[in-house]
Amino acid sequence: MTRSTIRRVTTGACMALSLAVGPYLSAQAPAPPAVTIPTPPLSALAPANLAKPRPAPPFTMTGNWFIQGGVPGGGWLFGRTPAVLPKLTPAAQQHFDAYAKAAAEGKVYRDDIGNCWPAGLPVIMTRVWPIAMVQLPTAIYMISGFMNSLRIVYLDGRTHTDPDIVVRTFNGESIGRWEGDTLVVDTRNFIDDPHHWVDQGVPGSGDLRIVERFRMINDGKTLEADITLIDPKNWVGEWKGTRRWNRVDDIDIEEVSCLPDLNEHLQSTSSGVHVK
Amino acid sequence: MKKILAASALALGIVAPAVAHHSPAAFDRTKEVKLVGTVKEFRWQNPHTWIEVLVPNEKGQEVLWGVELTSPTYLIRAGWKSNTIKAGDKVTVVGNPVRSGEPAAIFVSLTLADGRVLHERPARLGGTP
Repeated sequence: MTRSTIRRVTTGACMALSLAVGPYLSAQAPAPPAVTIPTPPLSALAPANLAKPRPAPPFTMTGNWFIQGGVPGGGWLFGRTPAVLPKLTPAAQQHFDAYAKAAAEGKVYRDDIGNCWPAGLPVIMTRVWPIAMVQLPTAIYMISGFMNSLRIVYLDGRTHTDPDIVVRTFNGESIGRWEGDTLVVDTRNFIDDPHHWVDQGVPGSGDLRIVERFRMINDGKTLEADITLIDPKNWVGEWKGTRRWNRVDDIDIEEVSCLPDLNEHLQSTSSGVHVK
Repeated sequence: MKKILAASALALGIVAPAVAHHSPAAFDRTKEVKLVGTVKEFRWQNPHTWIEVLVPNEKGQEVLWGVELTSPTYLIRAGWKSNTIKAGDKVTVVGNPVRSGEPAAIFVSLTLADGRVLHERPARLGGTP
């Protein structure tokens, strides 16, 4: 059999097979539905978004800020001083009791931040490190000097991302809006991870929601926020507190990473006083 | 990091500076140790700097102490440089000891051979007022 003969026979066989099963296949396998592809919002850095007409903001948070500690309204942790610890749920109370027991014994309970887990909100805002903030009409970019943790507060009118597609994070998803002289920031979509803590011994769940009301006081030298934390999986009702940050004009954030070999030289992260 | 247990440290007063990276509960803020010895290594690093100091104990044995400090961000604002101390320097370091009894502490102050005293950070950046 020549090559041309083989080609003719093969082609003919394929055509016959196609005619025989084609109607059957088309009847059994209708065209699949089209995949729905969402339209993402215009980027906060897109010129078309930045150029949209908007009222002038009452203040700008652009600058470097440092948590005010050791005074009323201050505090390194979000914490229990001066705010009152809310009534914890039984599950959260177990963690807090374990933390209190460890503290009484001079031990450290679940120091995940010291072991390179992200601090997450709200703790990232009260680390003893400067926070660089850059405010644009569409967003505020906050970069903590602590592990260079990034937080973006969107101001361009977008809503929180569809829970079915959002990537949950330790800092959550922050959406802000101006109300008079106040910036109201609503943060949701937190990660549901046992390494995310609101304070020592107080966990944060995926249901955590944080509302911050920022104001500029002291002639623009101090930023103040009334903070409300809600997490029905871990405490009852609203947990409220106030924190302030002072403007620091002689300091910039630097590159900071959690280094395993550095931790080996830090007794605070490697000694035998840790309760895992 | 393995170190020989025991030390010739002296219990002193109370200081409670803020720490940045981790829980400070590992350290006993009610106690201070005074380490008179020789620098073995000084690491200038974010987020923490640390000093290793060889300190003779009561038996004349050298004990390696680890002392952790805050980051250079703050140290330079308190007068430090990366070469403020180096291996072989004679120093006196005061710190709050770790509760586990290991030869380790968190930094309070450093006295150089020429008598200069250095702290970690100014009060406005979280230091002790």
